[in-house]
Amino acid sequence: MMQEKNIQRRGPGKNMILKYFVLVMIIAYIVVLMIYTSGSTKSFDKIEQAVESSLDTENLTKVDVQGLKRYYGLNSADYDGVMLYSSQKSMSTEEVLLIKVKNDGQMQHVRDAVQKRIENRKNDFEGYAPEQVKLLEQAQLSVRGKYLFLAIAPKAEAYKDAFAKSL
Amino acid sequence: MLFSSVTFLFVFLPVTMALYYIVPQKFRNVIMLIASLIFYAWGEPIYIVLMVLSILLNYICGLDIEDKRDDPRKMRRSLIFAVVVNLLLLGFFKYYGFLLDSLNAVLPVDIPYRDLPLPIGISFYTFQAMSYIIDVYRGEAKSQKNILYFALYISMFPQLIAGPIVRYVDIEAQLKNRVLSMRKFGLGAEYFIIGLAKKVILANSIGQIYEQIASLQMGSFSVLTAWVGCISYAFQIYFDFSGYSDMAIGLGKMFGFEFRKNFDYPYISTSITEFWRRWHISLSTWFREYVYIPLGGNRCTQSRQIMNLLVVWMLTGLWHGAAWNFLFWGLYYGILLVLEKFVWGRKLERLPSAAKHIYSMVFVLIGWVFFFSPSLGYAFNYIGVMFGAGASAFADKQALFYVFTHWLLYLIAILGSSALGLNLLKQIIGGFNSARIRKVAAGVVYISIFLISVAYLVTETFNPFLYFRF
Repeated sequence: MMQEKNIQRRGPGKNMILKYFVLVMIIAYIVVLMIYTSGSTKSFDKIEQAVESSLDTENLTKVDVQGLKRYYGLNSADYDGVMLYSSQKSMSTEEVLLIKVKNDGQMQHVRDAVQKRIENRKNDFEGYAPEQVKLLEQAQLSVRGKYLFLAIAPKAEAYKDAFAKSL
Repeated sequence: MLFSSVTFLFVFLPVTMALYYIVPQKFRNVIMLIASLIFYAWGEPIYIVLMVLSILLNYICGLDIEDKRDDPRKMRRSLIFAVVVNLLLLGFFKYYGFLLDSLNAVLPVDIPYRDLPLPIGISFYTFQAMSYIIDVYRGEAKSQKNILYFALYISMFPQLIAGPIVRYVDIEAQLKNRVLSMRKFGLGAEYFIIGLAKKVILANSIGQIYEQIASLQMGSFSVLTAWVGCISYAFQIYFDFSGYSDMAIGLGKMFGFEFRKNFDYPYISTSITEFWRRWHISLSTWFREYVYIPLGGNRCTQSRQIMNLLVVWMLTGLWHGAAWNFLFWGLYYGILLVLEKFVWGRKLERLPSAAKHIYSMVFVLIGWVFFFSPSLGYAFNYIGVMFGAGASAFADKQALFYVFTHWLLYLIAILGSSALGLNLLKQIIGGFNSARIRKVAAGVVYISIFLISVAYLVTETFNPFLYFRF
């Protein structure tokens, strides 16, 4: 009887409150993950269209599928979709790349190729075009699910935002 | 980070080991926990937060269940909360994409969705956390008051990303007190080296043959090639996963822990029931303890037993992956186990051993086709080729090339997947009269195996890990 009274009087314990608090933290964490790191199942065409509409096409020209092989050593046919824009000026490093990989296993290979391309370009321009090296150092690289996006441009951050919004 | 990586073998492990043995005993768990968090964060820097939150949640839920021990209704509610949240977390990260893809396949419109990569090891650590919660609820274990011990139980790097799934009751005492000895360390090192060799030398080499066959166009290969491909995959997955389990058990021993074995030569089985007593034992035990028995197990009507078995095996299939072929693979084994239990089990027992073994292996190999196939359609087509439907021929030069150029590899694989391989190794070492020479021989043999494994690791680029994605 005494025990029953004790049970009835007891409010939610410290652990009861804490577990709901942790649950809220988990939900908040998942929301953050979804906003900042998730990929998308939207088709490549839709993402490409959205990114293209944000690009400054005065400086950037679309490069054919051979460009990916030439610049990055990657075969377009291996991926679900490839979009590559590059500056036609020899003294410009501006470049925008969007790739959708077929499976997660390909991502590391693509990422390595992109890093290598940035390093090679830095070596090419080091010493005589410091503003281009700065662009390369401030390159925006984003991996979201099966999509990889790279922007080397003065408006790189804006391009990256456009990519993130398109997902 | 993979055990079979140069960074782990030559940087992470020696540094962790040295610190662990140097510091006073009371700091060993701290070293182990920090090392485990670094190990996980190496490959999954974002998801370390998820694991830490999962640890916090389950730690508090364990205490909450204990708080309510005098009120069974509230205690049950607390258990349900913990289990549901764990399942929702696992479900969200592992199955929500599968669910939406399945919906998209039947709906006239395509629903785009945001997808997240699968956190490595989530299936393993979630199941461990649930085992703790349920054991505390059942009164089989006391709630852990020390968060350091609990965090170590969930995140311990030897078994964090690919099991074995360690039940809390099995390790509760070891978290506080465990014995370190040179003998145990040596035994652990032997386990680890054998596991590494299984993974790097055997699984990776045979895996390359499977990859070549799997890349062939359906209809362009023979019956024999299809069987060689399937057998190669069977060896690859066994040496890959059991190798990783051996490395986990070995590392555990080196740090003073004792984990139960996860594989017991499954390919020598003479029935499917026996196969599942020998394959991924920790997962089968988990499902038996926490799903099959609570559903009623064997102590109910025959129809209910059949239902229980099918439910458990569908869940086992889904645990392995969020895809229809995994669900089908689970159901396939559920049906086979029901048939062995209620239809042909007794007749099977009367068959000669060789016939029973062939029966088991044929069904296991067909099972692997569902497992490795990208879709159910591909699986049925591949099985068709194995039995002549859609095959280019019964045998062709390609199949003979695979068999004759790799016969030694297959022979070692056969020996290694039975007790014969290890017994042979022990005979070589134990063949000397002097105990001192036996010790030297053991050192030479195991160091040689280690060096050969490292040579493979450095020269070969093909180093996948199949159970990683589960």
